[in-house]
Amino acid sequence: MNKNIIELQNINTIYEGEKIPVIKDVNLSVDTGDFVCIIGPNGAGKTTLLETINGLLPYTGGKGFVFGKEIKKNKNFIRKHAGFLIQNFEIDGLSPFLCKDVVMMGLTGKTGPLRFHNKKDWEKIWYSMGLVGMIDFADRPIGKLSGGEFQKILLARVLAQQPKILLLDEPLSNLDYSSRHQIETLLNRLHKKYNITILMVSHDLSFIPERCSRVIVIDKGKILMDGAKKEILESEIVTSILKNGGKK
Amino acid sequence: MIELPLSLIITSVLGALLAGFACSTMGTFVVRMNLSSIGYCMSHAAFAGAAFGLMISVDPMFGALLFSFITAFALGPIAEKAKLQSNIVIGFLFSLMIALAFIFLNYIPGQSANAKALRILWGSILSVNNTDVLLLGLLSFVLVIFVVVFYKELVSVMFHRKMAEASGINTKLFYFAVLFFTGFAVSLSLRIVGGLLVFALIINPTSTAYQFFFDFKKILIFSPVIGVVSCLVGYYLSLVSDFPIGASIVIISALFFAVAIVISPKRKKKSL
Repeated sequence: MNKNIIELQNINTIYEGEKIPVIKDVNLSVDTGDFVCIIGPNGAGKTTLLETINGLLPYTGGKGFVFGKEIKKNKNFIRKHAGFLIQNFEIDGLSPFLCKDVVMMGLTGKTGPLRFHNKKDWEKIWYSMGLVGMIDFADRPIGKLSGGEFQKILLARVLAQQPKILLLDEPLSNLDYSSRHQIETLLNRLHKKYNITILMVSHDLSFIPERCSRVIVIDKGKILMDGAKKEILESEIVTSILKNGGKK
Repeated sequence: MIELPLSLIITSVLGALLAGFACSTMGTFVVRMNLSSIGYCMSHAAFAGAAFGLMISVDPMFGALLFSFITAFALGPIAEKAKLQSNIVIGFLFSLMIALAFIFLNYIPGQSANAKALRILWGSILSVNNTDVLLLGLLSFVLVIFVVVFYKELVSVMFHRKMAEASGINTKLFYFAVLFFTGFAVSLSLRIVGGLLVFALIINPTSTAYQFFFDFKKILIFSPVIGVVSCLVGYYLSLVSDFPIGASIVIISALFFAVAIVISPKRKKKSL
Protein backbone atom coordinates (compact mmCIF):
# COMPACT_ATOMS: atom_id res chain seq x y z
CA MET A 1 0.00 0.00 0.00
CA ASN A 2 1.16 3.50 -0.82
CA LYS A 3 1.55 5.41 2.44
CA ASN A 4 1.35 8.85 0.86
CA ILE A 5 -1.88 8.51 -1.04
CA ILE A 6 -1.79 12.21 -2.03
CA GLU A 7 1.45 14.11 -2.57
CA LEU A 8 1.59 17.67 -3.87
CA GLN A 9 4.97 19.35 -4.45
CA ASN A 10 5.04 23.13 -5.01
CA ILE A 11 1.74 23.06 -6.87
CA ASN A 12 0.48 26.20 -8.63
CA THR A 13 -2.91 26.31 -10.32
CA ILE A 14 -3.87 29.19 -12.57
CA TYR A 15 -7.29 29.50 -14.22
CA GLU A 16 -7.16 29.75 -17.99
CA GLY A 17 -6.61 33.35 -19.14
CA GLU A 18 -5.56 34.58 -15.67
CA LYS A 19 -2.11 35.53 -14.45
CA ILE A 20 -2.34 35.10 -10.70
CA PRO A 21 -2.36 31.53 -9.41
CA VAL A 22 -5.37 30.57 -7.28
CA ILE A 23 -3.18 28.21 -5.29
CA LYS A 24 0.52 28.95 -4.89
CA ASP A 25 3.43 26.67 -4.01
CA VAL A 26 1.23 24.21 -2.18
CA ASN A 27 3.00 21.28 -0.54
CA LEU A 28 0.73 18.64 0.87
CA SER A 29 1.16 15.06 1.90
CA VAL A 30 -1.81 12.92 2.95
CA ASP A 31 -1.47 9.39 4.29
CA THR A 32 -3.82 6.52 3.58
CA GLY A 33 -6.71 6.61 6.03
CA ASP A 34 -6.24 10.26 7.05
CA PHE A 35 -9.31 12.39 7.67
CA VAL A 36 -8.26 15.94 6.77
CA CYS A 37 -10.36 19.09 6.89
CA ILE A 38 -9.36 22.04 4.73
CA ILE A 39 -10.70 25.28 6.09
CA GLY A 40 -10.47 28.85 4.92
CA PRO A 41 -12.62 31.81 3.94
CA ASN A 42 -14.53 32.02 0.65
CA GLY A 43 -12.18 32.38 -2.31
CA ALA A 44 -9.20 30.99 -0.38
CA GLY A 45 -8.56 28.27 -2.99
CA LYS A 46 -10.10 25.29 -1.17
CA THR A 47 -12.23 24.09 -4.10
CA THR A 48 -9.34 24.72 -6.51
CA LEU A 49 -7.14 22.50 -4.35
CA LEU A 50 -9.67 19.63 -4.49
CA GLU A 51 -10.20 20.08 -8.22
CA THR A 52 -6.43 20.03 -8.76
CA ILE A 53 -6.17 16.75 -6.83
CA ASN A 54 -9.04 15.27 -8.86
CA GLY A 55 -7.46 16.44 -12.13
CA LEU A 56 -10.40 18.69 -13.10
CA LEU A 57 -8.03 21.66 -13.09
CA PRO A 58 -4.55 21.23 -14.53
CA TYR A 59 -1.72 22.58 -12.38
CA THR A 60 0.70 24.95 -14.06
CA GLY A 61 3.67 24.42 -11.78
CA GLY A 62 5.04 21.73 -9.48
CA LYS A 63 4.16 18.06 -9.38
CA GLY A 64 1.17 16.20 -8.01
CA PHE A 65 0.71 12.52 -7.28
CA VAL A 66 -2.37 10.55 -6.23
CA PHE A 67 -2.07 6.80 -5.59
CA GLY A 68 1.60 7.29 -6.52
CA LYS A 69 0.62 8.28 -10.07
CA GLU A 70 1.19 11.71 -11.54
CA ILE A 71 -2.13 13.53 -11.71
CA LYS A 72 -1.64 15.10 -15.15
CA LYS A 73 -0.97 11.78 -16.86
CA ASN A 74 -3.48 9.68 -14.93
CA LYS A 75 -6.47 11.91 -14.31
CA ASN A 76 -9.00 9.40 -15.61
CA PHE A 77 -7.64 6.66 -13.36
CA ILE A 78 -7.64 9.04 -10.38
CA ARG A 79 -11.20 10.24 -11.02
CA LYS A 80 -12.43 6.67 -11.11
CA HIS A 81 -10.87 5.85 -7.72
CA ALA A 82 -11.23 9.18 -5.91
CA GLY A 83 -14.88 10.10 -5.35
CA PHE A 84 -15.49 13.82 -5.68
CA LEU A 85 -18.55 15.44 -4.16
CA ILE A 86 -18.76 18.85 -5.75
CA GLN A 87 -20.04 21.91 -3.94
CA ASN A 88 -23.80 22.11 -3.48
CA PHE A 89 -25.52 22.85 -6.76
CA GLU A 90 -29.12 23.68 -7.45
CA ILE A 91 -31.39 21.24 -9.20
CA ASP A 92 -34.79 22.03 -10.63
CA GLY A 93 -37.84 20.36 -9.11
CA LEU A 94 -38.81 18.74 -12.41
CA SER A 95 -35.38 17.22 -13.05
CA PRO A 96 -36.15 13.89 -14.79
CA PHE A 97 -33.87 11.60 -12.82
CA LEU A 98 -34.66 9.06 -10.14
CA CYS A 99 -32.48 8.79 -7.03
CA LYS A 100 -31.28 5.26 -7.93
CA ASP A 101 -30.19 6.50 -11.38
CA VAL A 102 -28.26 9.40 -9.86
CA VAL A 103 -26.43 6.94 -7.57
CA MET A 104 -25.81 4.66 -10.55
CA MET A 105 -24.07 7.57 -12.34
CA GLY A 106 -21.27 7.44 -9.76
CA LEU A 107 -20.34 4.01 -11.01
CA THR A 108 -20.47 4.84 -14.71
CA GLY A 109 -16.96 6.28 -15.08
CA LYS A 110 -15.45 3.25 -13.35
CA THR A 111 -17.52 0.74 -15.36
CA GLY A 112 -16.40 2.35 -18.59
CA PRO A 113 -18.21 2.46 -21.93
CA LEU A 114 -19.51 -0.51 -23.95
CA ARG A 115 -20.73 -2.37 -20.88
CA PHE A 116 -24.14 -2.30 -19.22
CA HIS A 117 -24.50 -2.21 -15.46
CA ASN A 118 -24.86 -5.77 -14.23
CA LYS A 119 -26.26 -7.36 -11.08
CA LYS A 120 -23.03 -6.77 -9.16
CA ASP A 121 -23.06 -3.07 -10.07
CA TRP A 122 -26.64 -2.73 -8.85
CA GLU A 123 -25.67 -4.47 -5.61
CA LYS A 124 -23.05 -1.74 -5.11
CA ILE A 125 -25.70 0.89 -5.82
CA TRP A 126 -28.16 -0.58 -3.28
CA TYR A 127 -25.37 -0.98 -0.76
CA SER A 128 -24.24 2.63 -0.98
CA MET A 129 -27.86 3.82 -0.80
CA GLY A 130 -28.23 1.68 2.30
CA LEU A 131 -25.11 3.21 3.84
CA VAL A 132 -26.63 6.68 3.66
CA GLY A 133 -30.05 5.38 4.75
CA MET A 134 -31.78 6.32 1.48
CA ILE A 135 -32.83 2.96 0.07
CA ASP A 136 -36.53 3.84 0.40
CA PHE A 137 -35.93 6.87 -1.83
CA ALA A 138 -34.64 4.82 -4.79
CA ASP A 139 -37.62 5.51 -7.05
CA ARG A 140 -38.20 9.10 -5.93
CA PRO A 141 -37.43 11.93 -8.40
CA ILE A 142 -34.21 13.68 -7.37
CA GLY A 143 -35.80 17.14 -7.67
CA LYS A 144 -38.34 16.33 -4.97
CA LEU A 145 -35.81 15.79 -2.17
CA SER A 146 -34.94 18.14 0.69
CA GLY A 147 -31.41 19.60 0.88
CA GLY A 148 -30.23 16.95 3.34
CA GLU A 149 -31.75 14.06 1.39
CA PHE A 150 -30.23 15.37 -1.83
CA GLN A 151 -26.80 15.62 -0.24
CA LYS A 152 -27.10 12.04 1.03
CA ILE A 153 -27.96 10.80 -2.47
CA LEU A 154 -24.93 12.64 -3.88
CA LEU A 155 -22.81 11.04 -1.17
CA ALA A 156 -24.25 7.62 -2.06
CA ARG A 157 -23.36 8.34 -5.70
CA VAL A 158 -19.74 8.97 -4.72
CA LEU A 159 -19.69 5.90 -2.45
CA ALA A 160 -21.01 3.67 -5.25
CA GLN A 161 -17.63 4.25 -6.90
CA GLN A 162 -16.11 2.43 -3.89
CA PRO A 163 -13.45 5.14 -3.80
CA LYS A 164 -10.20 4.90 -1.90
CA ILE A 165 -10.26 8.69 -1.42
CA LEU A 166 -13.24 10.93 -0.75
CA LEU A 167 -12.90 14.55 -1.85
CA LEU A 168 -15.79 16.44 -0.29
CA ASP A 169 -16.38 20.06 -1.16
CA GLU A 170 -18.50 21.74 1.53
CA PRO A 171 -20.73 18.68 2.11
CA LEU A 172 -22.34 20.33 5.13
CA SER A 173 -23.11 23.73 3.68
CA ASN A 174 -26.71 24.87 3.06
CA LEU A 175 -28.07 22.16 5.33
CA ASP A 176 -30.20 22.53 8.45
CA TYR A 177 -28.76 21.43 11.79
CA SER A 178 -30.35 17.99 11.74
CA SER A 179 -29.17 17.18 8.19
CA ARG A 180 -25.66 18.45 8.96
CA HIS A 181 -25.53 16.23 12.03
CA GLN A 182 -26.69 13.20 10.00
CA ILE A 183 -24.07 13.70 7.27
CA GLU A 184 -21.35 14.35 9.86
CA THR A 185 -22.26 11.13 11.72
CA LEU A 186 -22.27 9.26 8.43
CA LEU A 187 -18.78 10.52 7.52
CA ASN A 188 -17.46 9.49 10.93
CA ARG A 189 -19.01 6.04 10.48
CA LEU A 190 -17.61 5.61 6.96
CA HIS A 191 -14.12 6.60 8.06
CA LYS A 192 -14.21 4.25 11.05
CA LYS A 193 -15.60 1.29 9.11
CA TYR A 194 -13.60 1.52 5.86
CA ASN A 195 -10.54 3.56 6.88
CA ILE A 196 -11.18 5.62 3.76
CA THR A 197 -8.99 8.67 3.16
CA ILE A 198 -11.12 11.82 3.40
CA LEU A 199 -10.31 15.39 2.38
CA MET A 200 -13.17 17.65 3.33
CA VAL A 201 -13.47 21.34 2.61
CA SER A 202 -15.35 23.57 5.01
CA HIS A 203 -15.54 27.26 5.82
CA ASP A 204 -17.27 26.60 9.12
CA LEU A 205 -15.19 25.63 12.15
CA SER A 206 -18.19 24.34 14.04
CA PHE A 207 -18.76 21.45 11.64
CA ILE A 208 -15.53 19.54 11.61
CA PRO A 209 -16.36 15.86 12.08
CA GLU A 210 -15.17 14.12 15.21
CA ARG A 211 -12.89 11.65 13.41
CA CYS A 212 -11.04 14.39 11.55
CA SER A 213 -7.57 14.43 13.06
CA ARG A 214 -5.83 17.01 10.92
CA VAL A 215 -6.82 20.49 9.83
CA ILE A 216 -5.25 22.56 7.07
CA VAL A 217 -5.87 26.29 6.97
CA ILE A 218 -5.70 27.84 3.54
CA ASP A 219 -5.98 31.50 2.60
CA LYS A 220 -5.19 33.43 -0.58
CA GLY A 221 -4.08 30.19 -2.21
CA LYS A 222 -1.45 29.34 0.39
CA ILE A 223 -1.39 26.83 3.20
CA LEU A 224 -1.07 28.91 6.38
CA MET A 225 -1.31 26.19 8.99
CA ASP A 226 -1.30 22.41 8.95
CA GLY A 227 -1.58 20.39 12.12
CA ALA A 228 -3.63 18.47 14.64
CA LYS A 229 -7.27 19.48 14.89
CA LYS A 230 -7.13 20.61 18.52
CA GLU A 231 -4.05 22.73 18.01
CA ILE A 232 -5.44 24.46 14.91
CA LEU A 233 -8.90 25.06 16.28
CA GLU A 234 -7.50 26.74 19.37
CA SER A 235 -5.37 29.10 17.33
CA GLU A 236 -6.54 32.73 17.38
CA ILE A 237 -5.20 33.33 13.86
CA VAL A 238 -7.66 30.78 12.42
CA THR A 239 -10.64 32.38 14.13
CA SER A 240 -9.52 35.80 12.92
CA ILE A 241 -9.07 34.63 9.29
CA LEU A 242 -12.49 32.99 9.14
CA LYS A 243 -14.23 35.89 10.89
CA ASN A 244 -12.73 38.50 8.58
CA GLY A 245 -13.20 36.48 5.40
CA GLY A 246 -9.50 36.35 4.67
CA LYS A 247 -8.65 39.98 5.58
CA LYS A 248 -6.23 40.05 8.45
CA MET B 1 -58.70 13.90 -49.85
CA ILE B 2 -55.61 14.09 -52.08
CA GLU B 3 -55.01 11.04 -54.30
CA LEU B 4 -51.34 10.01 -54.37
CA PRO B 5 -49.48 7.08 -55.98
CA LEU B 6 -48.85 4.24 -53.49
CA SER B 7 -45.06 4.38 -53.89
CA LEU B 8 -45.07 8.08 -53.02
CA ILE B 9 -47.29 7.44 -50.01
CA ILE B 10 -44.94 4.70 -48.74
CA THR B 11 -41.81 6.85 -49.23
CA SER B 12 -43.31 9.92 -47.64
CA VAL B 13 -44.89 8.05 -44.71
CA LEU B 14 -41.56 6.33 -44.02
CA GLY B 15 -39.80 9.69 -44.29
CA ALA B 16 -42.21 11.32 -41.84
CA LEU B 17 -41.98 8.40 -39.44
CA LEU B 18 -38.18 8.37 -39.42
CA ALA B 19 -37.90 12.17 -39.16
CA GLY B 20 -40.28 12.08 -36.19
CA PHE B 21 -38.22 9.34 -34.57
CA ALA B 22 -34.79 10.93 -35.11
CA CYS B 23 -35.76 14.50 -34.18
CA SER B 24 -37.73 13.60 -31.07
CA THR B 25 -35.05 11.17 -29.85
CA MET B 26 -32.48 13.96 -30.01
CA GLY B 27 -35.11 16.33 -28.59
CA THR B 28 -34.85 14.47 -25.29
CA PHE B 29 -31.26 15.67 -24.96
CA VAL B 30 -31.84 19.09 -26.54
CA VAL B 31 -34.62 19.96 -24.06
CA ARG B 32 -32.50 18.82 -21.13
CA MET B 33 -29.53 20.87 -22.40
CA ASN B 34 -31.72 23.94 -23.02
CA LEU B 35 -30.69 24.09 -26.67
CA SER B 36 -34.08 24.52 -28.31
CA SER B 37 -32.74 27.21 -30.66
CA ILE B 38 -30.55 24.60 -32.40
CA GLY B 39 -33.51 24.03 -34.77
CA TYR B 40 -33.43 27.64 -36.00
CA CYS B 41 -29.67 27.56 -36.35
CA MET B 42 -29.57 24.37 -38.40
CA SER B 43 -32.47 25.40 -40.65
CA HIS B 44 -30.77 28.68 -41.51
CA ALA B 45 -27.50 26.85 -42.09
CA ALA B 46 -29.43 24.72 -44.57
CA PHE B 47 -30.95 27.85 -46.12
CA ALA B 48 -27.49 29.40 -46.54
CA GLY B 49 -26.23 26.10 -47.99
CA ALA B 50 -29.11 25.92 -50.47
CA ALA B 51 -28.36 29.48 -51.58
CA PHE B 52 -24.69 28.57 -51.91
CA GLY B 53 -25.59 25.52 -54.01
CA LEU B 54 -27.69 27.64 -56.35
CA MET B 55 -24.92 30.22 -56.60
CA ILE B 56 -22.39 27.64 -57.76
CA SER B 57 -25.02 25.75 -59.81
CA VAL B 58 -25.21 22.50 -57.83
CA ASP B 59 -28.23 20.80 -56.21
CA PRO B 60 -29.45 23.17 -53.43
CA MET B 61 -30.21 20.14 -51.20
CA PHE B 62 -26.57 19.10 -51.40
CA GLY B 63 -25.51 22.61 -50.33
CA ALA B 64 -28.09 22.56 -47.54
CA LEU B 65 -26.81 19.25 -46.15
CA LEU B 66 -23.17 20.33 -46.46
CA PHE B 67 -23.70 23.56 -44.52
CA SER B 68 -25.82 21.81 -41.90
CA PHE B 69 -23.16 19.16 -41.32
CA ILE B 70 -20.38 21.75 -41.04
CA THR B 71 -22.48 23.72 -38.54
CA ALA B 72 -23.26 20.58 -36.54
CA PHE B 73 -19.56 19.67 -36.45
CA ALA B 74 -18.45 23.19 -35.49
CA LEU B 75 -21.00 23.95 -32.78
CA GLY B 76 -19.51 21.94 -29.91
CA PRO B 77 -15.82 22.77 -30.47
CA ILE B 78 -16.57 26.51 -30.90
CA ALA B 79 -18.59 26.58 -27.64
CA GLU B 80 -15.76 24.76 -25.86
CA LYS B 81 -12.99 26.94 -27.28
CA ALA B 82 -14.84 30.23 -26.72
CA LYS B 83 -15.82 29.12 -23.18
CA LEU B 84 -19.39 30.15 -23.90
CA GLN B 85 -22.70 28.37 -23.42
CA SER B 86 -23.78 26.41 -26.49
CA ASN B 87 -26.91 28.57 -26.77
CA ILE B 88 -24.76 31.68 -27.29
CA VAL B 89 -22.73 29.96 -30.01
CA ILE B 90 -25.99 28.79 -31.64
CA GLY B 91 -27.07 32.46 -31.74
CA PHE B 92 -23.74 33.42 -33.29
CA LEU B 93 -23.93 30.71 -35.96
CA PHE B 94 -27.60 31.49 -36.64
CA SER B 95 -26.87 35.14 -37.48
CA LEU B 96 -23.75 34.18 -39.44
CA MET B 97 -25.79 31.76 -41.57
CA ILE B 98 -28.47 34.38 -42.32
CA ALA B 99 -25.74 36.83 -43.33
CA LEU B 100 -24.12 34.23 -45.62
CA ALA B 101 -27.51 33.34 -47.13
CA PHE B 102 -28.16 37.00 -48.02
CA ILE B 103 -24.73 37.31 -49.62
CA PHE B 104 -25.19 34.13 -51.67
CA LEU B 105 -28.73 35.12 -52.72
CA ASN B 106 -27.33 38.42 -53.94
CA TYR B 107 -25.28 36.51 -56.51
CA ILE B 108 -28.14 34.32 -57.78
CA PRO B 109 -29.92 35.84 -60.76
CA GLY B 110 -33.73 35.65 -60.95
CA GLN B 111 -36.55 35.30 -58.44
CA SER B 112 -37.15 31.58 -59.09
CA ALA B 113 -33.71 30.66 -57.74
CA ASN B 114 -34.41 32.62 -54.57
CA ALA B 115 -37.69 30.75 -54.22
CA LYS B 116 -35.81 27.44 -54.56
CA ALA B 117 -33.52 28.37 -51.68
CA LEU B 118 -36.46 29.51 -49.56
CA ARG B 119 -38.19 26.17 -50.17
CA ILE B 120 -35.67 24.64 -47.76
CA LEU B 121 -37.27 26.67 -45.00
CA TRP B 122 -40.77 25.30 -45.73
CA GLY B 123 -40.09 21.71 -46.83
CA SER B 124 -42.36 19.35 -48.73
CA ILE B 125 -42.98 15.72 -47.92
CA LEU B 126 -43.79 15.00 -51.56
CA SER B 127 -40.24 15.88 -52.58
CA VAL B 128 -38.83 13.12 -50.34
CA ASN B 129 -37.00 10.44 -52.30
CA ASN B 130 -35.61 6.99 -51.53
CA THR B 131 -32.16 8.39 -50.70
CA ASP B 132 -33.66 10.68 -48.04
CA VAL B 133 -35.50 7.75 -46.48
CA LEU B 134 -32.39 5.58 -46.61
CA LEU B 135 -30.29 8.28 -44.92
CA LEU B 136 -32.94 8.90 -42.25
CA GLY B 137 -33.23 5.16 -41.68
CA LEU B 138 -29.46 4.86 -41.31
CA LEU B 139 -29.36 7.81 -38.92
CA SER B 140 -32.21 6.37 -36.82
CA PHE B 141 -30.38 3.05 -36.61
CA VAL B 142 -27.11 4.74 -35.57
CA LEU B 143 -29.02 6.82 -33.00
CA VAL B 144 -30.57 3.74 -31.42
CA ILE B 145 -27.15 2.07 -31.17
CA PHE B 146 -25.56 5.27 -29.81
CA VAL B 147 -28.24 5.78 -27.15
CA VAL B 148 -28.41 2.13 -26.06
CA VAL B 149 -24.64 1.57 -25.92
CA PHE B 150 -23.81 4.87 -24.22
CA TYR B 151 -27.02 5.32 -22.22
CA LYS B 152 -25.29 5.36 -18.84
CA GLU B 153 -22.70 7.92 -19.97
CA LEU B 154 -25.34 10.12 -21.68
CA VAL B 155 -27.63 10.14 -18.67
CA SER B 156 -24.68 11.14 -16.41
CA VAL B 157 -23.74 14.03 -18.69
CA MET B 158 -27.39 15.13 -18.89
CA PHE B 159 -27.70 15.18 -15.09
CA HIS B 160 -24.59 17.25 -14.36
CA ARG B 161 -21.64 17.61 -16.70
CA LYS B 162 -19.03 18.51 -14.10
CA MET B 163 -20.02 15.66 -11.78
CA ALA B 164 -19.88 13.26 -14.72
CA GLU B 165 -16.39 14.52 -15.58
CA ALA B 166 -15.27 14.24 -11.95
CA SER B 167 -16.28 10.57 -11.93
CA GLY B 168 -14.12 9.78 -14.97
CA ILE B 169 -16.43 10.22 -17.97
CA ASN B 170 -15.14 11.93 -21.11
CA THR B 171 -18.01 14.43 -21.13
CA LYS B 172 -16.70 16.49 -24.05
CA LEU B 173 -17.01 13.52 -26.40
CA PHE B 174 -20.64 12.83 -25.48
CA TYR B 175 -21.59 16.51 -25.47
CA PHE B 176 -20.21 16.97 -28.96
CA ALA B 177 -21.84 13.75 -30.14
CA VAL B 178 -25.28 14.92 -28.95
CA LEU B 179 -24.85 18.28 -30.72
CA PHE B 180 -23.63 16.57 -33.87
CA PHE B 181 -26.41 13.98 -34.05
CA THR B 182 -29.01 16.69 -33.40
CA GLY B 183 -27.61 18.71 -36.29
CA PHE B 184 -27.64 15.59 -38.42
CA ALA B 185 -31.27 14.75 -37.54
CA VAL B 186 -32.40 18.31 -38.28
CA SER B 187 -30.53 18.42 -41.61
CA LEU B 188 -32.06 15.20 -42.88
CA SER B 189 -35.56 16.12 -41.75
CA LEU B 190 -35.55 19.49 -43.52
CA ARG B 191 -37.05 18.22 -46.77
CA ILE B 192 -40.03 16.78 -44.88
CA VAL B 193 -41.17 19.44 -42.44
CA GLY B 194 -38.95 22.33 -43.49
CA GLY B 195 -36.40 24.26 -41.51
CA LEU B 196 -38.79 26.47 -39.63
CA LEU B 197 -41.00 23.68 -38.35
CA VAL B 198 -38.42 20.94 -37.72
CA PHE B 199 -37.74 22.59 -34.42
CA ALA B 200 -41.28 21.67 -33.28
CA LEU B 201 -40.46 18.02 -33.92
CA ILE B 202 -37.50 18.33 -31.59
CA ILE B 203 -39.25 20.19 -28.79
CA ASN B 204 -42.94 19.19 -28.76
CA PRO B 205 -42.77 15.39 -28.31
CA THR B 206 -40.16 15.67 -25.53
CA SER B 207 -42.08 18.45 -23.81
CA THR B 208 -45.16 16.21 -23.95
CA ALA B 209 -43.26 13.25 -22.50
CA TYR B 210 -41.92 15.51 -19.73
CA GLN B 211 -45.52 16.09 -18.57
CA PHE B 212 -45.86 12.42 -17.67
CA PHE B 213 -42.55 11.17 -16.35
CA PHE B 214 -39.80 11.96 -13.84
CA ASP B 215 -37.66 9.17 -15.25
CA PHE B 216 -35.26 10.13 -18.07
CA LYS B 217 -35.35 6.60 -19.45
CA LYS B 218 -39.14 6.74 -19.90
CA ILE B 219 -38.90 10.19 -21.50
CA LEU B 220 -36.28 8.82 -23.87
CA ILE B 221 -38.62 5.97 -24.85
CA PHE B 222 -41.88 7.91 -25.09
CA SER B 223 -40.57 11.06 -26.79
CA PRO B 224 -39.84 9.24 -30.10
CA VAL B 225 -43.13 7.34 -29.80
CA ILE B 226 -45.00 10.66 -29.51
CA GLY B 227 -42.87 12.10 -32.33
CA VAL B 228 -43.69 9.22 -34.66
CA VAL B 229 -47.42 9.30 -33.82
CA SER B 230 -47.47 13.12 -34.34
CA CYS B 231 -45.91 12.68 -37.77
CA LEU B 232 -48.28 9.92 -38.85
CA VAL B 233 -51.42 11.69 -37.61
CA GLY B 234 -50.13 14.98 -39.03
CA TYR B 235 -49.52 13.29 -42.38
CA TYR B 236 -53.06 11.93 -42.44
CA LEU B 237 -54.44 15.36 -41.49
CA SER B 238 -52.47 16.89 -44.34
CA LEU B 239 -53.91 14.39 -46.85
CA VAL B 240 -57.52 14.85 -45.77
CA SER B 241 -57.42 18.60 -45.28
CA ASP B 242 -54.88 19.71 -47.87
CA PHE B 243 -52.94 21.51 -45.12
CA PRO B 244 -49.14 21.69 -45.63
CA ILE B 245 -47.53 18.58 -44.12
CA GLY B 246 -45.07 20.42 -41.83
CA ALA B 247 -47.80 22.63 -40.42
CA SER B 248 -50.10 19.63 -39.88
CA ILE B 249 -47.42 17.75 -37.93
CA VAL B 250 -46.76 20.80 -35.77
CA ILE B 251 -50.49 21.29 -35.09
CA ILE B 252 -50.87 17.65 -33.99
CA SER B 253 -47.75 17.65 -31.80
CA ALA B 254 -48.83 20.97 -30.23
CA LEU B 255 -52.26 19.46 -29.57
CA PHE B 256 -50.66 16.44 -27.85
CA PHE B 257 -48.63 18.84 -25.72
CA ALA B 258 -51.70 20.87 -24.76
CA VAL B 259 -53.61 17.71 -23.77
CA ALA B 260 -50.57 16.47 -21.81
CA ILE B 261 -50.47 19.69 -19.79
CA VAL B 262 -54.12 19.28 -18.87
CA ILE B 263 -53.98 15.59 -17.91
CA SER B 264 -50.40 15.51 -16.56
CA PRO B 265 -50.24 13.28 -13.47
CA LYS B 266 -47.34 15.43 -12.22
CA ARG B 267 -49.76 18.16 -11.20
CA LYS B 268 -52.29 15.92 -9.54
CA LYS B 269 -52.21 15.63 -5.77
CA LYS B 270 -53.02 12.17 -4.51
CA SER B 271 -55.31 12.03 -1.50
CA LEU B 272 -54.43 9.54 1.20
